[in-house]
Amino acid sequence: MGMVSASTLRKIQYLLGIVLVVVLGIHLAFRWPSYEESITYTAAISHIQAWDFLYAAVLYILLYAALTHGLIGFRTLLLELWHWRYARVTVDVVLIMIGVVVAIVGTIALTGTILALIH
Amino acid sequence: MAKREVKRVPPKWSLWFKGLDEWLLIFQKVSGAILILYLIGHTLVISTALNLGHPIPLTWNTIIGMAEGPAVYGHAHVGTIIEYLIALLAAVHGANGIRLILTQYFGITLPRPERHTFPRAVPSVKKTGQSWLKYIAVIVILIFLILATLVAFVW
Amino acid sequence: MNSWSLSNVSSQQVSTNAPTAAATVGNVTITKPPLSAPIRRTYTFKVKRYDPERGSYYWKEYSVELTNHETVLDGLLKIKWGVDATLSFRYSCRMGICGSCGMIINGTPRLACETKPYDLGTDVITIEPLSNFEPIKDVAVDFSGFFGKHRSIKPWLIRKDEKEQFEKLESYYPQTENQLNEYLEFAYCIKCGLCYSACPMVFLNKDYLGPQALAQAYRWSADNRDEGAILRLKVVDSENGVWSCHYSGTCSKVCPKDVDPALAINLLKHWLLYGKRKR
Repeated sequence: MGMVSASTLRKIQYLLGIVLVVVLGIHLAFRWPSYEESITYTAAISHIQAWDFLYAAVLYILLYAALTHGLIGFRTLLLELWHWRYARVTVDVVLIMIGVVVAIVGTIALTGTILALIH
Repeated sequence: MAKREVKRVPPKWSLWFKGLDEWLLIFQKVSGAILILYLIGHTLVISTALNLGHPIPLTWNTIIGMAEGPAVYGHAHVGTIIEYLIALLAAVHGANGIRLILTQYFGITLPRPERHTFPRAVPSVKKTGQSWLKYIAVIVILIFLILATLVAFVW
Repeated sequence: MNSWSLSNVSSQQVSTNAPTAAATVGNVTITKPPLSAPIRRTYTFKVKRYDPERGSYYWKEYSVELTNHETVLDGLLKIKWGVDATLSFRYSCRMGICGSCGMIINGTPRLACETKPYDLGTDVITIEPLSNFEPIKDVAVDFSGFFGKHRSIKPWLIRKDEKEQFEKLESYYPQTENQLNEYLEFAYCIKCGLCYSACPMVFLNKDYLGPQALAQAYRWSADNRDEGAILRLKVVDSENGVWSCHYSGTCSKVCPKDVDPALAINLLKHWLLYGKRKR
């Protein structure tokens, strides 16, 4: 990537790694005490219905942080294995596209759910 | 230089099998690849189950029912077991990752370069500071393992 | 307490079977075996040889008698002089300072002149060419890629004023003991290639600079007499530079001179991420 140096990418990845441990920990903690109960419809939307904006923020941060951290890491792995002439451009473009698409889908679903439930 | 392509001498796998750090390296990469693929799938499935912003119980129950699969152990489904394993993978990846971040970004437990001891110096990877980080990571993972087993299968 | 008994140390130096005597020098106690009659044994050297004409490897076994003081290099020379003159391998100083005789002995990259078959403890000694290099013939491998990567990190003192080194000769570059200790450990590198051979990331990433080049980049950048660190950091701050290292530490475990390239690379990463030099 001509614009961003490799160490800046790593700095972002490491900082997001720390953020992720916290945020993912919270997301997993919400499965307490029983996993099966926490994935029923009522349990899943109960936090949004209760206007628990903190948890909604956690979900947003989790989505973007996990995608960025994961895709930077995946890019590192792929660029270590592939060295053909257009490897760098191809990997960058494909991974950025996947990241943007998944982020948009997740944002639409999450925002729509919040807006629909707090009416 | 030889005209035809000479391949490199292949590695000695036995050298890497006996080192914990080498296993952790491979594990970090493989678990990272599995986790990013899981993340993409998980986001798309949950987004579909929420009907892309218009949540209704029917869509949620259908999609989650399909993703979970049949019950195989008490009230635990196939999906539960898969998610349990993924959560474990994330815990190990995260604990080892924190260890790597502490060492590489913040320089914690990196010794200052100094004169060699006689007759052979101890390489920094074997010094006590680095071992402590690994022990702490193992303890964190064990605690997570116990809690996750309780949440997924017992309660 | 600096009490070192040699049995704590790698097999390159210790004699595991002979009784030991102790001597104290300063505050260091050195135990070593008494000089007695040499213990002769017959070893089988299984050598993996590369045939450049066929482009493949084959194994050859040789039987050679060695004492407990003789090294693998002595064994190979006895084979070459007495049994099979076509056996090709590199060697020069025979005392662990030139870095020529690196090869994989019993599964670990070692220097042939510093490894004694008696200390390895086995009757069969397996010798193979260094991994991650391109083979030339038998146990000799091609170091040109390795040296090219070393050159790419500019392993020399860079001063902002180039003329200073050649025209203004009345001044010298002072250095205190502490400043020397910052990089001295990494200056012991003999470019033997054992770390490069042992590194799993060199195996996975064909363009990775390798632990030796990166440790030398730190050695020159941490030297207080050098002013060109920014040029080296540009080379090293890339996907195939420092960021392809994932801290497995195998390089430091096999280094015959205890250079500890793993520490050098991680100090480099610390510099790059923190944006300032540690003094």
